[in-house]
Amino acid sequence: MLGTHEFRPLALAEARAKGLPDLGIVTVPHPIGGVAPPIVAGKALAAMGDVLAALTRVAGGRVTAAPAGEVSAHAAPADLLEFQSYMMERGWGDGLPLIPATAERVAAMLAGTGRPAGDLVAVLPPRRGRATVERVAINAVLAGALPEHLPVILAAVEAVGEPAFNLQAIQTTTHPCSPLVIVNGPIARRLGINGAGNALGQGHRANAVIGRALRLVLQNVGGARPGHEDRATQGHPGKYSYCVAENEAASPWAPLSVDRGFSREVGTVTVCGSEGPHNINDHGSSTPQGIVTTVAGTAAIVGSNNIYLGGEPLVILGPEHAATVAGGGFSKDDFKRALWERAQVPLSRFDPSNIERFAVIHPAGFEDRPPETRAPIARQWSDIMVVVAGGAGKHSVFVPTFGATRSVTRRIEA
Amino acid sequence: MRAMEILDPVGSSTATARALTPRPASLQGAVIGVLDNSKPNARVLLDGVARALAEKVGARDVRVWRKPGASLGATTAVLDEMAASCGAALTASAD
Repeated sequence: MLGTHEFRPLALAEARAKGLPDLGIVTVPHPIGGVAPPIVAGKALAAMGDVLAALTRVAGGRVTAAPAGEVSAHAAPADLLEFQSYMMERGWGDGLPLIPATAERVAAMLAGTGRPAGDLVAVLPPRRGRATVERVAINAVLAGALPEHLPVILAAVEAVGEPAFNLQAIQTTTHPCSPLVIVNGPIARRLGINGAGNALGQGHRANAVIGRALRLVLQNVGGARPGHEDRATQGHPGKYSYCVAENEAASPWAPLSVDRGFSREVGTVTVCGSEGPHNINDHGSSTPQGIVTTVAGTAAIVGSNNIYLGGEPLVILGPEHAATVAGGGFSKDDFKRALWERAQVPLSRFDPSNIERFAVIHPAGFEDRPPETRAPIARQWSDIMVVVAGGAGKHSVFVPTFGATRSVTRRIEA
Repeated sequence: MRAMEILDPVGSSTATARALTPRPASLQGAVIGVLDNSKPNARVLLDGVARALAEKVGARDVRVWRKPGASLGATTAVLDEMAASCGAALTASAD
């Protein structure tokens, strides 16, 4: 396997996860993207000797394989502040204070679900870590979650583990994406998961700890550690926690869960491989067309993954914008169609080097297309996701995704 | 220092140790396979290495396969074909 020096830790993690710690890995100086081909060719020639050696004999220095047995407990400092340092030194925290996952607390957490502790919820890449109910519960305790939150967290872990979500890529990419957890159903109100004012911000415990628990599971069980397997160039703050309820009471339309075939009374989570939220300020529009214009202008961007990879960019409409759109006679699908038509990016707005790159991935959209061609933000209008969330005010939110990922909806089981 | 027992947040993985196939003593007359991960300049790097390697060892040919995308794995069909026809294979990770 060839790569650059910068990405060597990821290559090693992949090799280990596949059970091949001795796989020949040869790296060259970073970067090779965005570099003139003759320079890359020079790096290739310089690596040839190492490649030949790797292909014809097993590497001398053994990469230590992970220990076979499971370590079930650790002796950590009892002092709460020293405990934080202990956890951070091991790469098990997110930087904020953690609640020690003692056997007692984990047992209490497990009472929040009827599922057996040993049940396997998902196998999480890149490490192929076994996310059992108990392992999720341990990370939920660390995150500060309560037992009543565990079913939501379990549903989210299950959802991100589905192949369509493409967690392997989401965990290791340079793109900032992080799973956004959207909760539907009466469970949101029952647990106090906020979908109204400051829905994407701080202040509601349930939002904070559910999102955080998922992140800790992905980092600790999935083995995606920042700077190692997690290659996010900048990342975004949603990687601490990214959980919101749809504001079903304020929505003029059916909730996302109903769109996906569930009844209103069923609690669901939907996970999306999402960037951070982009604000859409529209204080002037009083028609659906006006709102569409402003949302389209915000969504028709050059630097998103959706523009060349497809996927499901998300619009979180604030209740007042949703009321304006619905009040003008638009259904949710009408809005999506109008947005898709309007939010198209002329190829002239891209640098030719990127059009060349996009053409390899999506020839139909970018290969030998005339300059007046416009690129849509999704392959088809029905790929655009719309939910209603937020409080009073004339703002909505645009949330592009990683592109090579599909959202997954899972029922929350007690 | 007082200690407290905490449960392990990491747990086990499904990774099982596998053996690499024995390394060939020589690649003379072999086909060198390249699995292009479709990242920019990946082909330049992989082709550069593959062709220099092929010349040095007297390989029969260099053949290139593609993945569906950078963030998607190669299909089983592609992997089976490479395994069946190549004496050695090169792929790339990340960018």
